[in-house]
Amino acid sequence: MTEQIKSIIKDIRIDQVTEATRALEAAARLTGLDDASKTELAAGLAALFYHDLHGKTGLIRLASQAEDIIASLGTAVLPFLIGELALADAESAAHFGRVIARSKAAAVKPVMDAINSHRGDDYAMMNLIATISCFKDPAALEAIPEILVASKGKNERLRAEALYAAGRLVRNLGSDRFDDTLRLKMFDTCFEALKDKNPLVRRNAVASLGKIAEKGMLTPDQERKVRDKFKGLLGIDGAHNWDNAYIVRQQAQQFFKFLKEDGKAHNRYHQTFRILEKRELCPDTYYYSIDAPLIAHKLVAGQFIIIRANEHGERIPLSIAGWDAEKGTINVIIMSAGRSSREINMMNVGDRLADVVGPLGQHSHVKKHDGVCVVIGGGYGTGAVLPTARALKKAGNKVYGIVGARNEKLLIMEDELKQVCDEVLVTTNDGTKGIQGFVTHAMEAIMKRGEKISHVLAIGPVPMMMAVANMTKPLGIETFVSLNAIMVDGTGMCGACRVSVGGKTKFACFHGPDFNGHEVDFDQLMKRQKMFVAKEKLALEAMGK
Amino acid sequence: MADLNSKERMAIPFVHMPLNPGEKRIHNFLEVPIGYTAEQAMQEARRCIQCKKPGCIGGCPVGINIPAFLELIEDGKFAEAAKKIRETNFLPAACGRVCPQDKQCQAVCVVGKKSDPVGIGNLERFAADWERTHGTFTAPVIPAPTGKRVAVIGSGPAGLTAAYELRMRGHEVIVFEAFHRGGGVMVYGIPRFRLPLEIIDEDIKMLENMGVQFVYDMIIGNVLSLDDLLVTEKFDALFIGTGAGLPKMLGIPGENSNGVYSANEYLTRIYLMQANDFPRYITPIEQGKRVGVIGAGNTAMDTLRTAKRMGSDVTCYYRRTRDEAPARTEEVEHAEQEFLNWKWLHNPVEIIADANNNVKAIKCEKMKLSEPDSSGRRKPVGTGEFVTDEIDTIVFSLGCDVNPIIPATDKEIRINKWGIVMVDRETNMTTKEKVFAGGDVVTGGSTVILAMGQAKTAALNMHKYLVGEIKWDVSKIPTDPNAPGIVWEGKNK
Repeated sequence: MTEQIKSIIKDIRIDQVTEATRALEAAARLTGLDDASKTELAAGLAALFYHDLHGKTGLIRLASQAEDIIASLGTAVLPFLIGELALADAESAAHFGRVIARSKAAAVKPVMDAINSHRGDDYAMMNLIATISCFKDPAALEAIPEILVASKGKNERLRAEALYAAGRLVRNLGSDRFDDTLRLKMFDTCFEALKDKNPLVRRNAVASLGKIAEKGMLTPDQERKVRDKFKGLLGIDGAHNWDNAYIVRQQAQQFFKFLKEDGKAHNRYHQTFRILEKRELCPDTYYYSIDAPLIAHKLVAGQFIIIRANEHGERIPLSIAGWDAEKGTINVIIMSAGRSSREINMMNVGDRLADVVGPLGQHSHVKKHDGVCVVIGGGYGTGAVLPTARALKKAGNKVYGIVGARNEKLLIMEDELKQVCDEVLVTTNDGTKGIQGFVTHAMEAIMKRGEKISHVLAIGPVPMMMAVANMTKPLGIETFVSLNAIMVDGTGMCGACRVSVGGKTKFACFHGPDFNGHEVDFDQLMKRQKMFVAKEKLALEAMGK
Repeated sequence: MADLNSKERMAIPFVHMPLNPGEKRIHNFLEVPIGYTAEQAMQEARRCIQCKKPGCIGGCPVGINIPAFLELIEDGKFAEAAKKIRETNFLPAACGRVCPQDKQCQAVCVVGKKSDPVGIGNLERFAADWERTHGTFTAPVIPAPTGKRVAVIGSGPAGLTAAYELRMRGHEVIVFEAFHRGGGVMVYGIPRFRLPLEIIDEDIKMLENMGVQFVYDMIIGNVLSLDDLLVTEKFDALFIGTGAGLPKMLGIPGENSNGVYSANEYLTRIYLMQANDFPRYITPIEQGKRVGVIGAGNTAMDTLRTAKRMGSDVTCYYRRTRDEAPARTEEVEHAEQEFLNWKWLHNPVEIIADANNNVKAIKCEKMKLSEPDSSGRRKPVGTGEFVTDEIDTIVFSLGCDVNPIIPATDKEIRINKWGIVMVDRETNMTTKEKVFAGGDVVTGGSTVILAMGQAKTAALNMHKYLVGEIKWDVSKIPTDPNAPGIVWEGKNK
């Protein structure tokens, strides 16, 4: 028998693939071996594991055949295999680990014994722990406390190996094998390790937490903690303090999808565009606060955004009624008019808009004036004058606000404007509140007081802006109007928003939206806004079909 | 078959690309060329005489080893052929469809001296399609991370190419796109019957699988400035590939009338926002019975053919003749099969609108070509004779200027008087340190492949810069505001 084994072992040489193949076939046929011969054979076959097999497919196949044969020899060869782990290089150890793990529960005790006897020998411990992580048998759970201890050890490579093993076991064994105490211990250990100085340890801790999350083993509270932590590592939390090691970020990115509310992986530039607040201002007109931190960070008074409600939606430009850079929100007012605005107004808190693009356009004209400034808002435009009014006030101006509406019920944002302006005048067409008439009547009222008006900003329906501009032109009062032309892209690419200003064609999206009201061709603007009326009606009729 | 001599090869007739017939295709948005069968492809590849000094490689902006891939197709090794193309061009399916081969590789093909040049574009498309439909594509192996972060601005042909080249060298790449989907002009400007959406999406998916991250709805310049990217976001280098997206108009009376579109707006409404599927998609497009398209470039051909598919009677107005039309020959031919009207030597001088500002008619001056001037170019000159055509919709297709947002928000980027970003023509460095640019933003408008060629040059130099092989050098960037943008010189560096 021994002779046979000897001849087999003689042929196990990597430079003779044919002979080695034949020898392996012979080894597979051997039966009735005693324990000593089994060990002898295993040692001979294991010689294959020590070769650099990288990229040599023929040899890799041979090595995996050898793994099969050694595994078939049973527990008798375990002492030999485990013994090899103390000195084996990482790749060879992986071969031994896989073979050992195939003895299932029977192999756990010998490995645990080896761990006990190799305490202090970090290198052997790494291989032993890596071996444990190959197990698919629940008996391996016994080793987890040992792994958790190792993951807090002094040697950083051992810590890394242990953390990695913990994650692998989670994947191999499945979530139902872990009880609550064990889960908590594993979570705490891995979470703590995220603070490790060594990037490899952090990376493996991230991977383990990721695998724990993947298997759904986190409590909601833990999940939130991990999500926040991963956001920090990736730099998505706005703190600009992401992990400096690419390997850590890359792992966090890979596993982040298991921590997301929407199951989609995102990087630090992702904005949810979620509706955080919705409030009815008057019938069919709503105020929204939308999560868009990057946009909120950069907005300047006068700029606008483009919203697309859903995958089938069109891109519609909207004025900004305010923003909170700290909270990362932007505020808009949407009045139901066509299909797009109605679709948005059917959305609720928690819903997400498909796209919010901005900030677009140029900022408003803000500087210190000699006389007073007047901001005029009509309808939905009342919100849009707020940011500029605030900016004018901040620049040291006396600011009057004028709000116009058809009747008292349709008046919006009056209180908000009062907080910003020195005085707010209200006009309603039917006289239900404030001055009866139009916003121009309020202008006259201010002028009658003898105050010098040096700057006017009007935002609202085109006839209103036109009336204001026509009134101020002969008086030579600087007047700006914000043009809500039809747009598609909003960056100057398509030219849909062409307006005539001072006889020249301008793009409202890029050159505007604020233009000198005395130069705007309002007539053309009004007609251009009617360009798609027939289609808009059809779209509205098709809504919900 | 492989042992044919060049004479026998030259005798093989050109395999014409099978097309969907004009009378059928004007009613749908399906791709016009059907594609070669394997037999047709092998026969066409056989026409290549494998010359010793192949001009076609130099004629390709990205330097594809054309004879090598043709030989592989000839031998029936289609997967290998596709792999060979991918060594230098990672968008073969798109390029095979939209490249102006008649001005590039096929123009210098030796076989073309005697008969039709080898159908290189058709064969590139064949190999790429075969690879896609047979699933033989294998994702490239990414080298170990270099630890450098690179931002690519714009996800058009230039941006995607730069992202690919940089990722292939182990850098971390994030692509920022202003629209809600990637692909840039390939999505919003090139019709579906020339370039199906799946092809673009496939390429983007491949980049995502390679680890390139995409951020949509992000307007660099407004949301994050270039300084934000370099300072707070700690990118090690930036690539600007924002393209030419500011439509030119003629400046004639009435061009702000309702029913006058720029080609960008018209095509964007249809191809990006899917207005042709209205009202399922709610972006509208208003198009009358008679449509006039002004211009005769590639985009004009796309617009003409799109308008025809939208169901109108379509006319092309161009102030020169068919021979001077800048569009790719094949595009003009395909357009001519689609029952369009052609008004060559017509120069629009006025657009007449009704009381509601809706377009009613177009007034053109008839032109004639002058005698060739010193540069050999025949200029169109007015004859003083005017014609007025009734018309409902007009689309201006006169090309684009460079998108102004980034130059407007960063004064360190030097532009010339046409708004084109000035770069070092060797390295594609801009005047702002760590910022490179490529594509239409530095040429002022060209083709997909030229943009890709430049992005490739830029990406190679970015890599060299990132690993410290070259230093930042702005000394060769023109300072004269009248200096032209980069004009491709016909050789890949």
